[in-house]
Amino acid sequence: MNGKLRTVVLTHLCAIVLAASGCARSGDDATVRLALQTEPTTLDPAYSVDFSSGRMASLIHSNLVAFDPDARVISDLARSWEILDGGRRYVFHLGGARFSTGRSVTASDVVYSVRRLLDPETVSPRWWLLKPLKGAAAFHGGASWDDESARAIDDSTVVMRLEYPVAHFLGLLAMPAAGIVCREEVERLGKGYGRAPCGSGPWSLSAWREGDEILLVPNPGYSGRRTALAGLSFRIIPEQMTQIAEFEVGSLDVLEVPRAELEHWRAAGTPLLWREELRVVDIGFNTTKPPFSDPRVRRALNRAVDVDKIIAHVLFGAGTRSRGVVPPSLRLPPAPAERYPYDPAAAKALLAEAGFPNGFSMEIWQRENPEAGRVLESVQGYLADVGVTAKLVTREWGAFKEAIDRGTPDAFFIDWIADYPDAENFLAPLFSSSNIGGGGNRTGYRNARVDSILDAAATCLDDAKRGGLYRTAEGIVYEDAPWLFLWFPEKYEVVSPRLTGYRIPLIFNGQRFLDVGV
Amino acid sequence: MRTFIAKRLLLLVPILFGVATLTFILMYVVPGDPVRALAGERYDEETLERMRTELGLDRPLAVQYVVFLGRLARFDLGRSFVTRRPVAEAIRERFPRTLVLALSAMCLAIVGGIAIGTVAAWGRRPVVSRILMTFSLVGVSMPVFWLGLLLIYLFAIKLRVLPPSGYGGGSIRNLILPALTLSFASMATIARVTRSGVLDALGEDYVRTARAKGLGERIVLGKHVLRNALIPVITIAGADFGSYLSGSVLTESVFGWPGLGRFVVQAILKRDFPVIQGAVLFMAVLFILVNLAVDLSYGAIDPRIRPEGGKR
Repeated sequence: MNGKLRTVVLTHLCAIVLAASGCARSGDDATVRLALQTEPTTLDPAYSVDFSSGRMASLIHSNLVAFDPDARVISDLARSWEILDGGRRYVFHLGGARFSTGRSVTASDVVYSVRRLLDPETVSPRWWLLKPLKGAAAFHGGASWDDESARAIDDSTVVMRLEYPVAHFLGLLAMPAAGIVCREEVERLGKGYGRAPCGSGPWSLSAWREGDEILLVPNPGYSGRRTALAGLSFRIIPEQMTQIAEFEVGSLDVLEVPRAELEHWRAAGTPLLWREELRVVDIGFNTTKPPFSDPRVRRALNRAVDVDKIIAHVLFGAGTRSRGVVPPSLRLPPAPAERYPYDPAAAKALLAEAGFPNGFSMEIWQRENPEAGRVLESVQGYLADVGVTAKLVTREWGAFKEAIDRGTPDAFFIDWIADYPDAENFLAPLFSSSNIGGGGNRTGYRNARVDSILDAAATCLDDAKRGGLYRTAEGIVYEDAPWLFLWFPEKYEVVSPRLTGYRIPLIFNGQRFLDVGV
Repeated sequence: MRTFIAKRLLLLVPILFGVATLTFILMYVVPGDPVRALAGERYDEETLERMRTELGLDRPLAVQYVVFLGRLARFDLGRSFVTRRPVAEAIRERFPRTLVLALSAMCLAIVGGIAIGTVAAWGRRPVVSRILMTFSLVGVSMPVFWLGLLLIYLFAIKLRVLPPSGYGGGSIRNLILPALTLSFASMATIARVTRSGVLDALGEDYVRTARAKGLGERIVLGKHVLRNALIPVITIAGADFGSYLSGSVLTESVFGWPGLGRFVVQAILKRDFPVIQGAVLFMAVLFILVNLAVDLSYGAIDPRIRPEGGKR
């Protein structure tokens, strides 16, 4: 190596070593360090439709009520509330919260936020969650605002009137989109509010370095319990393997363990936190398209796939076989009986009875996702055993959603995550004929009896009776098999030893880090 | 020379018009609805229509195209459908990070590649040459994703000398691993090309003449051999640099680097038309400018191929 060359190489090496020295991240401050796989698109409650945006918007904004980690409704801005007139009138009494600007939150802020979400000019995709309010649908359709919908009696009292009783109304009010916003900031910033939100939640936005990190600090005006933490840092790390590396070097305090890595962590003896998710995974059949319009074909395919084996080998046991639609933690006992045990011979017989003794060809659509690929290759193999040739079609999310909304695919691999912890949130959007298409029912399933039971359950305030109605509706759906029923997934996380009081929330916006310490 | 540069810069106008038109057409040919991507998982058709109106997607395609061109003529790249931020502002924020990464990777690739290639060709020890060329073969073949994870494992988890990922507020410590990963393939290619260029030049008459004149080996290598072997290296480095500037999606994803590549991929997945269109146009301008710089640098290295008026 000649001298010049040697000098250049040595200089580079020196630079690397010098730069690298003393690079261990400090892990001793009171900021909890977390990772987000996808960056929020906005922090404006009215437009928060994805998981990351909703979760962050809920940390920054208070709602009238909120979810705790077990997805129970707890008080937030509303110190207390009364449900009157057989569930048609709600009276909320506010506590003394302040926005991050320092101004007190008043009842008129609540009314403003409700009206803003419903206003057709806002064009919020989530306006439907306040649809049960009196005159809300008409206002959204262009009629004038009905003061009966939501009214401020005084600075600390809000009255809401509903068109009809809705048992899960408080759950709707705890959704991110029902967050209470600061009027003057919304009017000042317009569409820019999503980048500089002003809420009265436990945290306020300190910095948003796009693509890199979002930093939250405690909101001194928050009316609830004070946190002992200095802040929450959300690093945007798209790759799970990189997240694992960050956790291993102590730069992250919480890590969601990818299913493919579960065995490794279990073998290492690492204590894992575990929780069933409010999520269901299925392959939806296009019930409007032959041969899937015939329930016998759908039942046959349910018997053709050994789902338990897929859970054990592809999911490494991180799921429970679904016998129905509603996750076990929301379902009233007893669990439905197994109707579709793995039985390829019975599946073939059913197919022959339906007029397909030699099977048929079909397409199963999926969105880009490595786990979906592994699952569907297994399904493909099982279906081949009963003579059904399944072609897998992969599309990215936007194109996939457009296709399933239009009813193009024969079948599609998908999941459904709860917005609020209620059986209604699974059964009504997914199987009511009023929600066919973008409303959630992408199988095109229609059953008049299911529709009428769901309608009755939605307005029933007797919990036991309501649970029974949903169980009946779920039983009919299970029998009709518009899905190839797969599983209810489970989530596994590891936390750093310095963290105390952390629990995996049952619902995505149920962890506000108020009980977490370092 | 000035006329050459002016001509090339003037070419920007029709090229950008073509790129803008093609991008616009592609947006509407490729399946996927931006409004559905924005609306989440549960929505009604009426809201979708309102969103379409708000974003101007309900107008006839020809009108949308004219509006788009009109905006471009005013140097306005529009606002993101998703974040509602001006596209130009987002590019301004992301591009410097991509530029730093690209420049660092390119410096590493050029310095390392030329050094390895020269040592492999110049050295008289075939074992060293074979080791270096094996290294460069591995470099060319190894997927960036895999290499990035290996480097994270070695330097961050095992040796604990560098952070695994993140931008770190622009810290050089955070830059080292992504720059090294990104540079690897280019470094390997440059090493191979340099080696063959140096070997070819070593057999040329002018090198024999230089040696016969009694010039020292360093001068022969620097002035006669390397200078002649560098033209293909510049071509490769220029092309790679152009693509680095458009963002290196895999490297940026593995290292959580908030650059242009990840930004554009996110926009594509969300069908964020203004961002895709703005970013593609920006990248086209970059490519054209980098290629122009490469063409001009040929002349600086080898006067025989100066565009116009070069003196020999």
